[in-house]
Amino acid sequence: MKYQPLDSTRNKPSMEQMAQLDKLTRQQLKELEERQKTPFQKFLDLVIMLLPVVCGLIAIGEYHFVPNNSPNNNPMTYMGFLIILVSLYVLYFLYAFIKKGMGDKTVHDKLLYRAPLFAALFLLLAAYDYLTLKTGVLTQPFVPCMNYIINIAWIDRAYIIECTLHTLRLMFLGYFIGVALGLVTGICCGYFERVRYWVTPIIKFLGPIPTSTWIPIIMVVASSLFGGAVFIIALGSWFAVTVASMNGIQNVDKDYFEAAKTLGATERQLVFKVAIPHAMPSILSGCTQAMSSACTAIMIAEMMGVKAGLGWYMTWAKSWASYDKMFAALFVICFIFTAVTKALDLIKRRVLRWQIGAVK
Amino acid sequence: MAENRHVTLKLEGVSKSFAKVEADEVTHALDNVSVTMESGEFISLVGPSGCGKSTILRLVTALIPPTAGKVTVNGEEVTEPSPNRGMVFQKPTLFPWLTVEKNIGFSLQVQGKLKENQHKVDRMLKVIGLESFRNDYPAQLSGGMAQRVALARTLISEPEILTLDEPLGALDAFTRMNMQDEILDIWKERKQLALMVTHDVDEAIYMGTRVLVMDANPGRIVADIKIPDAYPRDRSSESFVKYRNEILNKLHFGGKHEE
Repeated sequence: MKYQPLDSTRNKPSMEQMAQLDKLTRQQLKELEERQKTPFQKFLDLVIMLLPVVCGLIAIGEYHFVPNNSPNNNPMTYMGFLIILVSLYVLYFLYAFIKKGMGDKTVHDKLLYRAPLFAALFLLLAAYDYLTLKTGVLTQPFVPCMNYIINIAWIDRAYIIECTLHTLRLMFLGYFIGVALGLVTGICCGYFERVRYWVTPIIKFLGPIPTSTWIPIIMVVASSLFGGAVFIIALGSWFAVTVASMNGIQNVDKDYFEAAKTLGATERQLVFKVAIPHAMPSILSGCTQAMSSACTAIMIAEMMGVKAGLGWYMTWAKSWASYDKMFAALFVICFIFTAVTKALDLIKRRVLRWQIGAVK
Repeated sequence: MAENRHVTLKLEGVSKSFAKVEADEVTHALDNVSVTMESGEFISLVGPSGCGKSTILRLVTALIPPTAGKVTVNGEEVTEPSPNRGMVFQKPTLFPWLTVEKNIGFSLQVQGKLKENQHKVDRMLKVIGLESFRNDYPAQLSGGMAQRVALARTLISEPEILTLDEPLGALDAFTRMNMQDEILDIWKERKQLALMVTHDVDEAIYMGTRVLVMDANPGRIVADIKIPDAYPRDRSSESFVKYRNEILNKLHFGGKHEE
């Protein structure tokens, strides 16, 4: 193994390090080739990483010291929320430094990368509080301050949880039915000319119809609204997954089929061992798209017909002019959808780890 | 290690035409080609683009059917691709979603013979010198390494007929010369019938026991030259140069006209 540092400002590996070069990890290689940071840069990094704590304290101070413009019950709820957020960050910060002390810089680097965003989040919370509770530029109670929202979410938690579960059940049921059927039709259409002949016209005909158009029809035709909503969500997901997997399979390079054939693969194996794995990136992006269409469909369904779930909770709260409840539901929805998207992303990365290095 | 059975591969009056994409016409890639080949031979097919070299390989592996005539192995007509007639392509065409080890084991796996033959995969990894890359994905390999894996993936089923479609065409000159020797070493071990398409006349002579010179429009064999010289061959020896001139003459590129 030959290693020649290009210039003297880089860390020169000792003989011992040279012997270890053969089994370097990616992270160690990066560190070895990186220019050493000047003391000033190191100091700056530390400042950046402490910035969220500073901004968190600013948010707490703003909430505590600036006089209120509207009455504020249970003021400690939001305060507690802020303190918890800042403490979580401090724990993360400490964890990163303990890890760094143990020789693993990855957590530290990630923290450094994310710190400005966390800082911005705290500033945003402070600004929002200032505009709502403190000055009333955003009129209360139409745009409620965070303390109202967190309080009402806590008070109404049993009902919100019930609605959340209902939404999740409906959404996942529809989503999984749609994805499963979509995979079957998409793969068959992609691989078998005959199937494509019959299915493509259906896709072309039904595809452009927006999901919400179905709702009035379903409300009339379907025997249960729950079943109708599942159907609408499944339809949207089915469409997205069918199109994506069909395209994925049609685009498989002919060379792979030829290679597999000369290696003894049967027709069935060509589908399951070549076409599907090759189309996996496309199929998974179809699943992500299906999820976003399912999220839209469930909200529309719940706001227009279904008498349960978070979408229904929002319209119901609005009709009672409980704007704080409306916002609470909005945050829960936002949280759920983010979590679901993140989970899908993790699955995608795990399944497609062979693509690492291929896409440069 | 068991020897393969002796095979005789025959092309009997084989023609192959392809429909052109645009006009309603056909091109004649091969016109009435008859040739017999035996186990133990290493046959180089050399000629200009469009002379049907690759078409012969694709007919032998039954990836495409002949328009007229037939291809037989020991008298039996070939109709379906089989791991007995392996092919190495110009592009490695490794399955990017499988690790090096699983790519090599693919053929055994689809035939349901992987479990009892794991030692063959290990041996192949050793032969191509990529044991430490066993769990890597193809995207992480260099061109030469990928082509070695492709070779191993085909050889694992111990094909009676090994076809190579410009396997070294995409490699740099040094890797190429190394791999010529590697392929020869592998071939010498089992002496299966090997058919290799190449653009490179030197490569054809360096590796082949027999060189089939082909010409285009229509695609046909214009010369069948046996090269009995012992391996390893010296690229600057007198007989090597003589063969080179002979082949170049057949392809109308000769400097020294002997006729």
